[in-house]
Amino acid sequence: MNKLKAAIIKEVLLLIRDRVGLAILFIMPMILIFVMTLIQDSAFKTLNEKGIPIVFVNNDQDSLGIDIGKGLRSSELCTVHDSINGKPATAETARQAVAEGQFLVGIVIPAGATEAVRKNVMQLVEQTLSTDSVIETAVPDSVDIRIFIDPITKKSFIASVTSSLREFISGIKTKIMFRSFADQIAEIIPGKKKTPSNAFGQTQIIRYEEIYASKSIGEIVPNAVQHNVPAWAIFAMFFIVMPLSGSIMKEKTEGSIFRLHTMPSSYLMLINGKIIVYVVVCLLQLALMLSVGLLFLPMLGLPVLDMGHSIPGVLIISVATAFAATGYAVMVGTIASTEQQGAIMGALSILLLSALGGIWVPTYVMPQMMRNLSAFSPLNWSLEGFYELFLRGGDAAAIMGSAIKLMIFFVITMFIASMVNRVKRKI
Amino acid sequence: MSSNAIIETHDLVKIFKGSSEPVVKGISFSVERNEVFGLLGPNGAGKTTTISILCGLFPPASGTVTIDGMSLQGDLAGIKQIVGVVPQDIALYPTLSARENLHFYGNMYGVTGKALKDKIELWLDNFGLSDAADRRVSTYSGGMKRRVNLIAGILHDPKILFLDEPTVGVDVQSRNVIIEHLQALNKKGTTIIYTSHHMEEAEHFCTQVAIIDYGRIIAKGSPKELIAAYPDCANLEAVFLQLTKRKLRD
Repeated sequence: MNKLKAAIIKEVLLLIRDRVGLAILFIMPMILIFVMTLIQDSAFKTLNEKGIPIVFVNNDQDSLGIDIGKGLRSSELCTVHDSINGKPATAETARQAVAEGQFLVGIVIPAGATEAVRKNVMQLVEQTLSTDSVIETAVPDSVDIRIFIDPITKKSFIASVTSSLREFISGIKTKIMFRSFADQIAEIIPGKKKTPSNAFGQTQIIRYEEIYASKSIGEIVPNAVQHNVPAWAIFAMFFIVMPLSGSIMKEKTEGSIFRLHTMPSSYLMLINGKIIVYVVVCLLQLALMLSVGLLFLPMLGLPVLDMGHSIPGVLIISVATAFAATGYAVMVGTIASTEQQGAIMGALSILLLSALGGIWVPTYVMPQMMRNLSAFSPLNWSLEGFYELFLRGGDAAAIMGSAIKLMIFFVITMFIASMVNRVKRKI
Repeated sequence: MSSNAIIETHDLVKIFKGSSEPVVKGISFSVERNEVFGLLGPNGAGKTTTISILCGLFPPASGTVTIDGMSLQGDLAGIKQIVGVVPQDIALYPTLSARENLHFYGNMYGVTGKALKDKIELWLDNFGLSDAADRRVSTYSGGMKRRVNLIAGILHDPKILFLDEPTVGVDVQSRNVIIEHLQALNKKGTTIIYTSHHMEEAEHFCTQVAIIDYGRIIAKGSPKELIAAYPDCANLEAVFLQLTKRKLRD
């Protein structure tokens, strides 16, 4: 026990005197969370189809234009702007602003659009009720609602947004047409009661109910904070491969390991000292990163981190991730023959595993092949665990699969490290 | 094994991976209790490899080693309890102070609490390091590092002490202090196995020496016996040069 305690004290002293190592462990991931969350905030809004910036030019100033404007403003889909840089938007400035990426979508309702719809309806009613066998059909005035789209926007997203907008605008047009029809018929057929104003709503006999396949009934939806805070916390935890493998390598190059191997202490005991210290470091990192999500990101206008409802679940997945990260670092430090080799092997492998694991971009925007590959990254197991807790409202039982996988990974990495150490000592 | 021998090696051979030529080619010798046994030889002769095998750092390809009645192959853990090792390279944590390094290594040898604290203070004082004990080792001179390196190997009062060139790169003052304290340890009953390039130091310090070259022992005996065996040689260095020739070694 004294040996383990001494090994822990030694490891703590080495760690706190390594300022660069400490910066890598604590400051770098905090900066990453701030930067990546701010950068990805708008991208996540796009993915979530929430708060899409739209410039709206209403040249109609009648029912159609007013209703579309009202509808857009009441929708969570978009944030509607009718001015650009403090000046009222025009068709031309809206097109320019969308082209420059200031807005993802621009909508222009032409002047007289409502009137044109009414005219069309009148013509249709007249044609329908006329007793003449041959009718001169006048070409109806067309209503050209223009939608400008930022060309760099993803095609699937354009399709989704324009389809929603078309459906929405079409609904309002139909509503106006319905009213006009009703008014026309009331004029033509004396004694016909005027159609009640809510009659259009009553015609919607098919309804759609959208239900999130989640325990939290869609209250929490993915956003930049919900993704980036756990993602970069996991990245930081696995990035201990740098200081920990460096510490193992230094013991080799500075000769301490030579002396330690001649002492009546096992290699496992020495490594246990490191594992205990770095698991605690990982948990401190995670606590710090979560506090960034809870306290500091909201100060920058970002959403507050929602940690779900299961503190035991968070503890289990955190401890499992910390062990997996530490085991991986010990394995890299044991396999590498020089400090440079350890640093390159550690940094590159973590970058690859994190990219694969959905740290940089969530796996659900990856192609299927990469999604299949991501199942092999321990960072993905951990991230899935945090998603389960933070996004899907899961409990401790829901993340057991991920936690067990991470602990098995730890055991495997330690086994490999032990085998490599044995082989290396048989020089 | 002779009744008073504390170390006995028989026909030790070591071949490193990837090398066809053995580094140690059938070395046999015995060390009596309370001796100061010098393993002398030019660079690459096989001294450090022999010491590394004896302290259990890696196994021999063949041959046997018995230390204080325990077989190296069968009771390595027991052997590690009674030996102290002072490696040729400084084996200390540079960002820890001397006191912190010694506290860690003492614990690793199983010395704890007040006993360890007292020993650390005693040896730091003996080696003139008390004032610098809380400074990081990275700020020490070569001689100071060497002294701390030595203390780290003797905190547990080992029965046998392996010293691999303990005075290399230090000034005369430090060297004299180191040798004086090693002689004091030996007087208290510690058997010392020592390698060095300093023939004068070895002649003065060792009770028995073995001269190794190209992985083989080419001469054995007390310094006086060896000098007497070569009438043309006035001292151990002359004997060494006569036996190992003047050809430069890698």
